[in-house]
Amino acid sequence: MMTTPRPMNTSSGPPRGRGPAWERPGARHGKWLKFAIQNTLRNRRRSLVTVAIAALGTAAILLAGGFALFTYQALAQAAARSTGHLIVGQPAQFTQDEDTPLQHGLDDYKTLSTQLLADPDVRQVLPRVAFSGLISNGDKSTVMLATGVEPDSEFAVKGPFLNMVAGEVLATGAKDAEVMLGEGLAKSLKAKPGSSLTLLASTTDGALNALDVTVKGVFSTGVPDIDKRLVYTDIVTAQKLLNTQRVSTLGVFLKSMDATPAAQQRVARMQPTLTVQTWLDQAFFYQSVRGLYNRIFGALGLIIAVIVVFVVTNAMAMAIIERTREIGTLRALGTLPSQLLRTLALEGMVLGGVGAVVGAVIAFGISMLLYVVPVQMPPPPGSSRSYALNINVDPAMYAATVVAMVLLAMLASAWIARKTVHTPIVEALAHT
Amino acid sequence: MTAVMELRGVHKTYRLGQHVIPALQGVDLTVQRGELLALTGPSGSGKSTILNLAGLIDTPDSGEILLDGEPVTGLRETPRTLLRRDALGFVFQGFNLVPVMTVAENVDYPLFIAGVPLAERRERVAAQLVAVGLQDHAQHRPDALSGGQRQRVAIARALIKRPRLVIADEPTASLDSHTADQVLDLMRERCHAEGAAFVIATHDSRLTRRCDRVLALLDGRLQ
Repeated sequence: MMTTPRPMNTSSGPPRGRGPAWERPGARHGKWLKFAIQNTLRNRRRSLVTVAIAALGTAAILLAGGFALFTYQALAQAAARSTGHLIVGQPAQFTQDEDTPLQHGLDDYKTLSTQLLADPDVRQVLPRVAFSGLISNGDKSTVMLATGVEPDSEFAVKGPFLNMVAGEVLATGAKDAEVMLGEGLAKSLKAKPGSSLTLLASTTDGALNALDVTVKGVFSTGVPDIDKRLVYTDIVTAQKLLNTQRVSTLGVFLKSMDATPAAQQRVARMQPTLTVQTWLDQAFFYQSVRGLYNRIFGALGLIIAVIVVFVVTNAMAMAIIERTREIGTLRALGTLPSQLLRTLALEGMVLGGVGAVVGAVIAFGISMLLYVVPVQMPPPPGSSRSYALNINVDPAMYAATVVAMVLLAMLASAWIARKTVHTPIVEALAHT
Repeated sequence: MTAVMELRGVHKTYRLGQHVIPALQGVDLTVQRGELLALTGPSGSGKSTILNLAGLIDTPDSGEILLDGEPVTGLRETPRTLLRRDALGFVFQGFNLVPVMTVAENVDYPLFIAGVPLAERRERVAAQLVAVGLQDHAQHRPDALSGGQRQRVAIARALIKRPRLVIADEPTASLDSHTADQVLDLMRERCHAEGAAFVIATHDSRLTRRCDRVLALLDGRLQ
């Protein structure tokens, strides 16, 4: 016959194996936590090294993550500023090549623009005529990729997205046909503000048309390959050259990027015969950079997390081995293995948690410092323009990283402690 | 008198590589309530093995162990742990106090893990510290105490739960003779005051002279 343990000889007879109902639960957890903190302070140097490595790991993850977020945000804003948050066009515009210019263009775009502007989230609607052809200075002709825009609206909405190298930006209602040239193209054609050039392109009827234009300004996008080909002109000039009243697409600019998905659904419902894409659908560079960075920084974060886990595990392993005899004593006194596992996991939590919080503070401090003391980054591949390094501070990322560090440290400690707390007590007590 | 702990025909062997070493060979032992029982014998005679089995931190190969008349031999680990927590106390030769805890926290620990309410714990810890003469050292860490004081803390920790049996393995071996006398006096006094039985493994003849009963062990058998 097996016996069951009888209640301890207490005057008030609390329930066995758990805290009495009238005792504040937090007080008991607090005592285990205090015990865990006291244990981490036994070997201060070892704990300090562990906390320092956890802090550096956390800071590295947060700084790398913050840089990635900054990059995503900058690229997303650039992409949306280039195309508009929404792009409205004929379905074939996005799926088929055109046999003749503006074959899949939009008719009566002004009426459509007015309808779109009625949406409360829409800030501006910009028509675009995209075409290609030749540009010549009389002696030399070269390929151009041109965009016809409504200059005043375009440059007002998009802000200083172009770096003007010489001259001025286009203006709506100019008397003469004017163009802005990319820096590389202007250099190739030896053109400067005031120079006369000729645009050549196929009309919508398939005939070849030519138009004399004046250079109003020279700009740089920061991407040399684009600057060698890109031409901006006003929409009237573009339509005149192509002999059409159509536009290629309408770029819809919203009051905030967050409004994009909802606005896309509303516009799609309002214009069921048209296709409404978001900036993301056309942001191929953004998507490829994001995919690449996610892999790079994901792998980096994983490596750092593994290092931190190893360091915490190593520190806890040493602490547990040193305390094997004490663990045996506590087991002899009636401590359940689960109670010991809990306090040892709490030790890991203290080490990992303090390290994570310190790391978060370091990352936040460095992020703020970069606003005060700007650091210029070298131009990215394919660009000629350097940029100021910024590190985004994202509360969700900070919280997730700290929680992950704490959990990993707890799990690592519990994992490393599980064998010792189940060691036979006689063996543990004999440990030297 | 009432038997607190009984060992009936207990055998225990240890393996050392290929060798099987008999530690206990058919030991029958009864510990009465409130008695101070000394186990003596040379090293390897089986004293510590009896303490381990009586303290429920080891299991016999055969035979039966009863605590308050109830068999405990085949208990699983958790009920054995709870029995140790509630019914047994331990005093070790090396004191085995938790160095990061204060004297009061060390004494309080068995009550804390048993879920005794805080107010009652405080009251009982204070009373126990007075009983062992360490009320002025409640907030000291063990490393600030002398050997004798540390062993008094260990005795207070063993008795705070009002156990039915206290297992003491060479409790005076690390102490000078004067301190050992004081500790032994304390154990006798607390044994009678609390009504707990003490089983003490010792080589110390001065200690055995002051115990209620002395049993000698040789080669795993009681003489």
